[in-house]
Amino acid sequence: MFSFQTIVENFPVLLGSARYTLLISVLGCIEGLILGAVICAAALSNKRWMRRIAALYVSFFRGVPLLIQLLAAYYLLPVIGINVPALAAAVLTVGLCAAAYLSEVLRGSLNAIPQGQAEAAAAIGMAPRDVWIRILLPQALKIGLPAIVNELILLVKASSLVTVVGIVEITRMSQSIAAATYRPLEIYLAAAFIYLVINLVIAQAGRMLERRLTV
Amino acid sequence: MTSQTAASAHLRNVNKFYGPFQALKDVSLDIPPGKVTCLIGPSGSGKSTLLRCINVLELYDSGEVRIDDQLIGYDSPGGKVMAANRLREMRREIGMVFQQFNLWPHMTALQNVAEGLERVRGLKRPEAQARAREALAKVGLADKEDNHPSHLSGGQQQRVAIARAIAMEPRIMLFDEPTSALDPELVGEVLGVMKQLAAEGMTMVVVTHEMGFAAHVADRVVFMERGEIVATGSPRDVFNNPTDPRLASFLQGYRERNSLDF
Ligand SMILES: Nc1ncnc2c1ncn2[C@@H]1O[C@H](COP(=O)(O)OP(=O)(O)O)[C@@H](O)[C@H]1O
Ligand SMILES: [Mg+2]
Repeated sequence: MFSFQTIVENFPVLLGSARYTLLISVLGCIEGLILGAVICAAALSNKRWMRRIAALYVSFFRGVPLLIQLLAAYYLLPVIGINVPALAAAVLTVGLCAAAYLSEVLRGSLNAIPQGQAEAAAAIGMAPRDVWIRILLPQALKIGLPAIVNELILLVKASSLVTVVGIVEITRMSQSIAAATYRPLEIYLAAAFIYLVINLVIAQAGRMLERRLTV
Repeated sequence: MTSQTAASAHLRNVNKFYGPFQALKDVSLDIPPGKVTCLIGPSGSGKSTLLRCINVLELYDSGEVRIDDQLIGYDSPGGKVMAANRLREMRREIGMVFQQFNLWPHMTALQNVAEGLERVRGLKRPEAQARAREALAKVGLADKEDNHPSHLSGGQQQRVAIARAIAMEPRIMLFDEPTSALDPELVGEVLGVMKQLAAEGMTMVVVTHEMGFAAHVADRVVFMERGEIVATGSPRDVFNNPTDPRLASFLQGYRERNSLDF
């Protein structure tokens, strides 16, 4: 028999564990966007070595599974003398990985901006940093918004991987509750519901932002 | 106000290559202060390239470009490329207006004009906005400051672009076909603002296909073809007594195209 009782009883605990999912996703997203913008700037730099570094970065963080990256951060960093709490290592790694994808989204969006936009800024003597922050990035974020929202939703789902470094977020919590209650169907349905709500909120926020940015 | 400080510009034996293709061939030209110089010539003759070498949006390969007596683009003739911050300082004095307006679509008209005053001139926002409003008023758009470019007509957008340039108080203004992207009925309002600037004594270099404007407003007309300056003179000399056969045939073609419009 399907037991709503089990869902109701365990929902608060499950929801509580969602704070780790949210924390990792939100911080990972902020880190990913900032670092992604920097990587993207490097990828478009006229200095060859900067472009090389950006390309290497993207190939590495896109090419290696996040799971391996997390394990590497968790087990390798202490070996080389860097001791970070599991949560910090997880946030850092998820953000590093998101940056690789987001930098590519931004790069694609920037290519869609007419060259005259930056030229008009250069012509009045604006410094490259201001051209980047005030003129190009806002437009790239707008053009790339649907793709960025997509990446953020993937990020929320990918955050379930941080269980491998011992963080008890939604997925890990539902595993333990399912094991304890022998009610996997109900518990995983409840977990799925929480993920779904988070991602629907993100998608809706993205649509609202898109509408606001359309002038 | 601009008349005492208007700058001159001087090109000496300027060459510009795009790969193997030579877009400017040994071009020399003096642009006098406080006057309107119009550049005319067939498409692809190097007019935009010449204009863009004056503010070094394109770096010329050899020769000299000076604003007043200051070299721009290189540290010394034939020397190292000028440091970026030095170039930016010089560009503050040189306004530019583009064929496609190049307004920033994510900003209102006011923000478009105030942006450079804040970021480049370092003014505080209220002061920058006050000056931006003055500039918008000057181009007749005081009531449009909250509009984004997408909510302005082409003519209004180009006037905002002119306001954005003049708000920086440049000493010379470059116009690259400022009316070519406009519907015919909107050309007049932009040319009107340009005439007003000319009357105030701004140094202006205008690439244009508006022969009427060149004939009536220009102090000097420069005809280019295939990367070279072929003829220069007063509008009367150039339009009424074209001695160079290439200029004569260019003007003939222009007259034929425009009479066919009827
Ligand atoms: N960035 C560029 N790369 C290669 N060729 C260019 C570039 N810009 C201009 N050209 C070429 O240089 C010539 C002069 O161009 P331009 O100065 O734009 O002419 P105009 O403004 O008189 O129409 C043209 O043949 C054009 O194709
Ligand atoms: Mg041109």
